[in-house]
Amino acid sequence: MIKPAVEIHDLTVAYREKPVLWDIDVVIPEGSLCAIVGPNGAGKTTLLSSILGTIKPASGWLKIFDQPIEESEELIGFVPQRESVDWDFPVEVLDVVMMGTYRRLGWFRRPGKAQHDWAMECLEAVGMADLHRRQIGELSGGQQQRVFIARALAQDARLFLMDEPFAGVDAATEDAIRHVLEDLKRQGRTVILVHHDLQTIEQFFDHVLLLNLRLIASGPTMETFTRKNLLRTYGGRLTLLDEAAEAVRRIRTGGGGGGGS
Amino acid sequence: MISPNTLVILAGTTALGICCGLVGALMLLRRRALLSDALAHATLPGVCIAFLLSGSRSTIVLGVGALISALIGAALVSWLPRFSRVRRDSATACILGILFGAGIALSAIIQRSGPGAAAAGLDSLLLGRAAGMLRSEAMLLGGCALVMSLLVLVLRKELLVSCFDPLFGRCSGQPTGALDLLQTALLAGTVVLALPAVGVVLTAALVVIPPAAARFWTDRFDSLLRISALLGAVSGMLGTAISSGHPELPAGPVIVLSATSFFTLSLLIAPKRGLIARKLRSSARKQQREVRRILHALLLASEQDLHSLSTDQIVAGSVSASPRALKQAIIDGFIERQGDRLQLKPLGSERARRARKSQEIWREWLTSEAAIDRDLIDLDEEDIEKLLPLELVRSLENSIELRKTTT
Repeated sequence: MIKPAVEIHDLTVAYREKPVLWDIDVVIPEGSLCAIVGPNGAGKTTLLSSILGTIKPASGWLKIFDQPIEESEELIGFVPQRESVDWDFPVEVLDVVMMGTYRRLGWFRRPGKAQHDWAMECLEAVGMADLHRRQIGELSGGQQQRVFIARALAQDARLFLMDEPFAGVDAATEDAIRHVLEDLKRQGRTVILVHHDLQTIEQFFDHVLLLNLRLIASGPTMETFTRKNLLRTYGGRLTLLDEAAEAVRRIRTGGGGGGGS
Repeated sequence: MISPNTLVILAGTTALGICCGLVGALMLLRRRALLSDALAHATLPGVCIAFLLSGSRSTIVLGVGALISALIGAALVSWLPRFSRVRRDSATACILGILFGAGIALSAIIQRSGPGAAAAGLDSLLLGRAAGMLRSEAMLLGGCALVMSLLVLVLRKELLVSCFDPLFGRCSGQPTGALDLLQTALLAGTVVLALPAVGVVLTAALVVIPPAAARFWTDRFDSLLRISALLGAVSGMLGTAISSGHPELPAGPVIVLSATSFFTLSLLIAPKRGLIARKLRSSARKQQREVRRILHALLLASEQDLHSLSTDQIVAGSVSASPRALKQAIIDGFIERQGDRLQLKPLGSERARRARKSQEIWREWLTSEAAIDRDLIDLDEEDIEKLLPLELVRSLENSIELRKTTT
C-alpha cells in the first residue's frame, strides 16, 4: 500500500457563505504526478490553497504526510499563478530563486555561497542559469514561469503544488517544465498541479482529480480520465465536450504514453 | 559656525531621513504609499487628546498619543475593507479625512480654551520645526529612528519575501500576519518620529519621495533600500541645515523640497529608467529603423540592376527617409554618396540582407505557431538568435526555404 501524501476528508470551503468546495474526500498517494482538472470556477486554486493551509476550511480536515496541516511543519514547494506578483519588482532572477532557500536558512541569517550555488543549480534545471542577473521584468512570460519553478525546486520539498504552470507558456518552457516534472517523479516526490489542457493529461500525469465544486472522480489516469467522468465534470458545454472526446479517444487508442507526438 | 546644538539636530534629522527612506521603500513596494499620508494625518487627534488629558507638552506624552492614534488609524484602514465592501484605497482616504478633521476640530477647541503658548506648540506640528527642536528631542528622535532602521536591515530578507510574494512567504513558513503588523507598526513609528521635524502635512512626502527617486537607479531590493536611505538622509540633513541658517524657512518644506530635487534629478538623468535616457533610446531606435528602410530601398533597387538612386528618391518619394538618418547611414559606412547619387557599400548591403532575413523569420514565427510567448517579440532585433532558441531559428529558416522553392 502506497502511503498517502495528501489526505482530505469532508472538506468544505466557502467565501462569504458561498461554497467553493463541497464535501471533498480524496487521497493523493505519495510519488504521484497529479493533475487537478475542472472548468473555470471549479475551485481548483481553492483546493491548492487549502492544502497549503492559506485558506481555513468551513469544515473537514486535511493531512499532509499523515500530519494534520495545522501541526505540519512540512515544507511545500509552491508555484503560484504568474499574475500573482508584480513583475516590475526590483529583484533579479537569482534573488527570487534564493527565496526558496530562506525557510531552511532561518530568520536573520543571510544566504551564503551554499545557497547561491544551490539556487544556480535549480536555475540550471529549468535552463535559465545564464539569465540569473536579469531583472525579472525583462523576462518573457515563459521565462518568468521557469523562475517560479526554479524557486520551488530550491525549496527542496517532498510535496510540490503548482497553479497552472503550463498556462500561456512557449514550447521551450513547456519542455523545461515537463523535464522538471519527470525528474521530480523519478525522485519519488509528489506533485499536484492545476492543469487546463485536456489534450496533454494522459501524456504528463499518472493521477487525475476531476473537480467541479464537488469531487467528481480521482485516481490513476487510465481508470479515471474517462468520457463519462469528463462529461460529469464539464457538464454539457459543447466546445469542451469535443476536446474531452478527443482526449478520451486518444487514451483508448494510444494507451498511457502515446498521444500524437 | 555651526553650534553643537545644530549638530545634534542635524544628526537627528539625518537618522530620521534614513528611517523614512527604508520604511518608505517597503511601502512603495507593497503599493501602500498612500497609507503613510493617512497615518501622518491620523496622528493629530492623538496629540490633541494626549494634551487635553495630561495638560503636558512633553514630547514623549504627545508622541505616545500620536502613535496610538496612528495605530488606530492603521487598524481601521486594514479592517474596513475586510468587514465591509469599502475598498482599501477608499478606506485609506476616508480614515485620512475623518481623523485629520477630528484633529483639527480638537486643536481648535484647545486653542480657544487653553493658554496661547500650548496652542502654538500644537500648531507647529502641522509644518514641523526641525531647526527649533530641543537637543534632547533630537537625540530621542534620532535614536528611535536608528533602531527602526536597524530592524529593517536585519529583517530585509524576510521583508523582501513579504513585499514581493506574501503567499509564497506564507507557505514557506513565514508569519505573514506578524510581518504585516510589524511593517505597519514601523510606518506608524516613522510617521510619529517625523512629526516634530517635518509636520503632519509633509511627512508622507519624506516617506514616499526618497524610495520613488531611488527606484530610478536600481533593479535590486538591497540597493533600493540603500539608495533610498541615502537620499532620505541627505534630504534630512540638507533641509535642516538650510532652514537653520534661515529662520524664516520652516524645516519641513525645505527637507521635502530637497528630497523633491533629488527625485526630479533622478527622473531626468537616471541611466536606464530616466526620461532623458528613455528619450535617447527611443530616438536611436527610430533612427535605426529609418536607416534600415534606406538600406532596404537601395538593396531592392540594386536587385533590379539600379546600382544607385538619387538623394531625392530616398528623401522624398515612397521612402521619404529623414535626412538625418541618411547622414547616419553614410557615417556608419553603409552608403556612399557620389554627387547626387547614393550607392550601397558592401557593409550596407550585407546589413540590409540580414535585416530582411530577420524580418522574414519573425513573420514566419508569428504565423507558424499558436502558442507564442508575446514578450519575446522584438521586430527590431536583427540578431534573432538572441531572443529565440537556435534550433527554432533554424527550423524557421528551413520552412522559409521550403516555401520559396515550392512557389
